[in-house]
Amino acid sequence: MLRSQSILFGASTALLALAGEPLAASFGNGPLAIRVGRAETVTKGVIENAVILVEDGKIVTIGEDLPVERGVQVIDRPQWTVMPGMVSSYTRIGLDSEGGDDMSPDVKASDELWPKSRDMRKVVDYGFTTLGVYPAGNGIPGLAAAIRPRGETVAEMILKDPAYLKIVMRSDSASKKRIRDAFAKVDEYEEKVKKAREKWDKDKDKDKDKDKDKDKDKKGKKDEKPAEKPAEKPAEKTDEKKMADPDAQDVGSEAAQEGKTDAKDEKKADGFVPPAPDDKSRSFVEMRAKKLRALVTLAGAADWLHWLDALGKETIGFDVRLVLNQDSDIYFVFDKKTYDLDADGIGDRKVHAVVEPVLTFTPHTRRLRNLPMELAQAGAKVCFTPRTDNLDNYKEFLGHVSELIGAGMTRDVALRALTQNGADLLGVGDRVGSLEKGKDANLVFLDGDPFQPATRIQAVMLDGRFVFGEVDS
Amino acid sequence: MIQLDLTRRLALVATLAVSALPVLAQDGEKPAETKEKPAEPADGEKKKEDEEERWFAIQNGDVYTGTGEVLRGATLLAKNGKIHSIGYDLYVPPDAKTLDAKGFRLYPGLVAISSQGLLGNASSDFDDTIDPFNSRMILALGTGITTTGAGTAAVKLKRFSVDGAVVNEKIFSSFSWSNSNPRVKGELRDKFVAATNYLREYREWQRKVKDDKTLAEPNKRGVDNTVLAVLQGEQTAKFVSNDRDELLGIAHLAQEFGFRPVIEGCQEGWTIADELGRAGVRAIITPRDRRAKDERQVLAGGASIENAAILHRAGVPVAITPASEGVDLSGLVGRDIMHLPLEPGFAVRGGLPERAALESITIVPARILGISHRVGSLEIGKDCDVIVTDGDVLHYKTFVQWAVVDGKVAYDKEKELFFAHIRPRPEAAAPKKIDAGETPPDPDAKPDETDEDVEKKDGEDEPEEKGDGDEPKKDR
Repeated sequence: MLRSQSILFGASTALLALAGEPLAASFGNGPLAIRVGRAETVTKGVIENAVILVEDGKIVTIGEDLPVERGVQVIDRPQWTVMPGMVSSYTRIGLDSEGGDDMSPDVKASDELWPKSRDMRKVVDYGFTTLGVYPAGNGIPGLAAAIRPRGETVAEMILKDPAYLKIVMRSDSASKKRIRDAFAKVDEYEEKVKKAREKWDKDKDKDKDKDKDKDKDKKGKKDEKPAEKPAEKPAEKTDEKKMADPDAQDVGSEAAQEGKTDAKDEKKADGFVPPAPDDKSRSFVEMRAKKLRALVTLAGAADWLHWLDALGKETIGFDVRLVLNQDSDIYFVFDKKTYDLDADGIGDRKVHAVVEPVLTFTPHTRRLRNLPMELAQAGAKVCFTPRTDNLDNYKEFLGHVSELIGAGMTRDVALRALTQNGADLLGVGDRVGSLEKGKDANLVFLDGDPFQPATRIQAVMLDGRFVFGEVDS
Repeated sequence: MIQLDLTRRLALVATLAVSALPVLAQDGEKPAETKEKPAEPADGEKKKEDEEERWFAIQNGDVYTGTGEVLRGATLLAKNGKIHSIGYDLYVPPDAKTLDAKGFRLYPGLVAISSQGLLGNASSDFDDTIDPFNSRMILALGTGITTTGAGTAAVKLKRFSVDGAVVNEKIFSSFSWSNSNPRVKGELRDKFVAATNYLREYREWQRKVKDDKTLAEPNKRGVDNTVLAVLQGEQTAKFVSNDRDELLGIAHLAQEFGFRPVIEGCQEGWTIADELGRAGVRAIITPRDRRAKDERQVLAGGASIENAAILHRAGVPVAITPASEGVDLSGLVGRDIMHLPLEPGFAVRGGLPERAALESITIVPARILGISHRVGSLEIGKDCDVIVTDGDVLHYKTFVQWAVVDGKVAYDKEKELFFAHIRPRPEAAAPKKIDAGETPPDPDAKPDETDEDVEKKDGEDEPEEKGDGDEPKKDR
């Protein structure tokens, strides 16, 4: 242990000795260096004797035995291990269980958020720093949001909204019909947009007599139409073009018109505002445009095949939530090869798969199976979520995951399933999920290996602030 | 190459020749079906190199085609799920998946005329509800069943896909004909009369309307659509009856109005077999069912162990079904759908020829379900629905080793946990690395293994195990 001590370490202890008081209160501002025995970065392997520099809620840098500048506050815990804050991408902790109706893809789980929810605030103490909150209900209950579990206001809590559309798939006609009907509605909408565009083009032609390359542009626009029509509402993705006109969000046609010099003309060309899809269709319009992913709940192997069948030729992005009940037969569809499926297996699609950390039985037997492990081996990206939305399961979460490790799952897979995979599923993988430079400083400090039963969480940092644990220097 | 094609053609001619007889003899109502067969091999000879082609071969087994022939040690080759050829020295494309059935027998997949619960928990809408992984389906495949009637539909026990399992819908319309309810009998007869009259008028009108365009179409009011569909051959009338008088009544109704009914039960059929045969009745019977004779009746009656044999002799196609149509773990052992192949044994005991016994659970139910052009026998152009057994399919000791549906292995006894431990498949009987289609063919393990190679390999199943070790363990 002492081997790791550098000159700077000496210097910092001196400094801390000077300060001589609990730092919890004063950590908020200036940079803070945390020195631990071991860091599980998840994406960059293990760093022994790691130093993490945190400032403004972000990880400024992380590395082995980094020198710490004079004047930087240092917390020195050589006996601790740090890992990224855990991500549960599928939870309703602290929310009630009132479900929506069967087809409500416009309902947002974020509307239910309540910053003072005791249970939701409590899970931070157990190491959860990012949650995916989904709307309750069956059928297509609505849109989930990625949140941080603590915040003074709802806006402060939200990281990404919507994060995914929850769909519950069952092997029945109603489930399949819901999907098919929804996409049929999108077809109708796209037809409507196309007509509106044609009409708009015609009106424009009437207004101004235009030369031939204008026609060319129009054609280009029409082709791109289906992909771009939902561009109007989510503000995130249109940043790259620095346009003066806020209405001009039609990226495709802008590119097509690049050659034009007449600024007025350009504005006009981009002035086409497609009709807004109705509330029920909006999510599906966005999914087809690949701006929104679905999370599909499947209870059995047959559900997977029926889901693919219902999708037909749609190529939307989706991930799966697999309900691992005691004798789940979902392993039949883990990969295409083992059981010679006609369709792809779950692993072949490389989707994220949200599962509880449980061991199950081969149906009708007492033979244990480690389905999350098999799932990972098949190629799926496993994301763990606590067994139920009961605080005890959040508290014992790491223990439950260790059971799977005991049954053959590798640590690396388990760690990813606890952090980065869930973050990726929620679409916030570039902000949270691992210990990397530039990411949010969501850190969980433990007094040993996270998967050893005696290990306890000592402290939790959320966005650069200690929110749990007695931390002084 | 020429030689190979010749062999193939010979095999085809042979199969067609032998298949033609029984088909024509017993299947008067659907002659069109047999015409489809020659199309497939011609396509095969075209040999367009299509990436989509999926070949599957079961080699070295004794092929019981279900049409009376046995080809010992022959190869059955399937292309894209259809039987492409059956015979000797066939050219098997190198990318074909193969299954070595040396020492085993090949039979057409069994057809359960009716069953419950094999397709999952739902009882209709099978395209949207089928659960190809439920254990009852695995057990049924382990029984040898590859196609089943369910409700009014005919569905294949197609695992690995939920697409295209339903092969025929709305097959039956059920009618009641009961001595205890004479009024219903009268009403049914009236419906047939009305429908017949309507059809007659309609045809008359069809003929005349060409000359006189002003003629009005005959009024359909009061005509029962179900009865009409039966008379037009679109649906099959199904009765449930065991009583001699009732059976006679149904036979006379059928003869009078010209349709071929299916009668389930038919226990006293043996007493009036000739009448039933003349009327074109098709029987679904359970040979082990018992019924006491009505002692007030002077004529013969009651159940007979000879029922199936006598009906068969009188020209009544006999399909056999067990007493319980689901997977039934209570009550008397051996009377549920898992014992479908045992049931005809009791008919054989009563004199039914063994061939007819096999047909009673293959081609006859396939014809009744209207799908004999696709399943029910091993013939070129039909679906590759094959079971590979370790003995006579009707024998109580026999186990289904593999069940193949649409040219894909849907059941492997060694892989499913239900029967794997009972008389495990001897390695000597399946010498090559047992490849049930789960792993792609190993290019350096195969091509021409002699028996010596095979014996050498027997002892060392360890390395194989290792090869699969890092894959998820399947069922054990």
